[in-house]
Amino acid sequence: MTDCGCDKAKAELEEFLHDELCREDAADIREHMRTCADCSGEHHVGVVLTEAVQRACKETAPEDLRSTVLARLRDLQASH
Amino acid sequence: MAELESAVMSTPEGHEPTPATSATAPAVDEAEAAVVEAVEASDEGEPDLRALFEEQALPFMDQLYAAAMRMTRNPADASDLVQETFVKAFAAFRQFQQGTNLKAWLYRIQTNTFINTYRKKQRDPYQGTIDELEDWQMGGAESATRASGSTRSAEAEAIDHLPDSAVKDALQKVPEDFRMAVYFADVEGFSYQEIADIMKTPVGTVMSRLHRGRRLLRGLLADYARDRGIAVPAGTTTKGSDK
Repeated sequence: MTDCGCDKAKAELEEFLHDELCREDAADIREHMRTCADCSGEHHVGVVLTEAVQRACKETAPEDLRSTVLARLRDLQASH
Repeated sequence: MAELESAVMSTPEGHEPTPATSATAPAVDEAEAAVVEAVEASDEGEPDLRALFEEQALPFMDQLYAAAMRMTRNPADASDLVQETFVKAFAAFRQFQQGTNLKAWLYRIQTNTFINTYRKKQRDPYQGTIDELEDWQMGGAESATRASGSTRSAEAEAIDHLPDSAVKDALQKVPEDFRMAVYFADVEGFSYQEIADIMKTPVGTVMSRLHRGRRLLRGLLADYARDRGIAVPAGTTTKGSDK
């Protein structure tokens, strides 16, 4: 491992990706990635992974679920 | 943040409503007034509380269903789970503090409901102990980050081109608590604190579940790609425990 801030950056990349770092720490990571192909490559994989999960998890609820829920809510209210 | 906390702190299931605090912001008071109005109207037999619930909560149905699919892994159970979630949420809706995070509140109810009913049916023997598993027990997928620069771009390229079905299959192989942490963070964009509230676990546990979940997923996707002849250099996936 090189001593160029990689260890710190690697440890914090996931928090950076999820926007959990404070502004200063996020700026440090951004600055580090500008010159470190290793860390920026790692970050890129992280971003692509997140996007892949987002794409794969898109769902539309079945139409009959909506009507079933609406009917049950009506029943619930009627019973009170 | 404080608003969120009070939203998720309030008990989602049939307890006495907690009195609203006097220190609420004006916007919350206004929203509170809307629900009081609706409650009063519904006491007179008008369906206004239901109308408010339908207007505010039902738009989250697709999202709750998507999460339910990741939880239950099949459409029939997912539909049942979402239905139960809305029924319970509606029953507790007077306790929901208007102006706070309704989506997080609904997810918390859905997560509770899932744990209390559905998880019993499909209990994974690893559940409950999975957080304690050491990295080496998690298998080769943990070593996913050992790749070098050029293999990383190949890996990113491969992940980017995988079909959704492959990503879904891989997600289903990730242990439930890890999978849901990934779902809440990466799909719903909840903060670590919000996920901690939904999953009733410390933030540190959320971070560890998220980290391991993503690491596992990444290894599984690289395996999948390589099995299908998509070029992912060897270092990316199962080999290499260079401690």
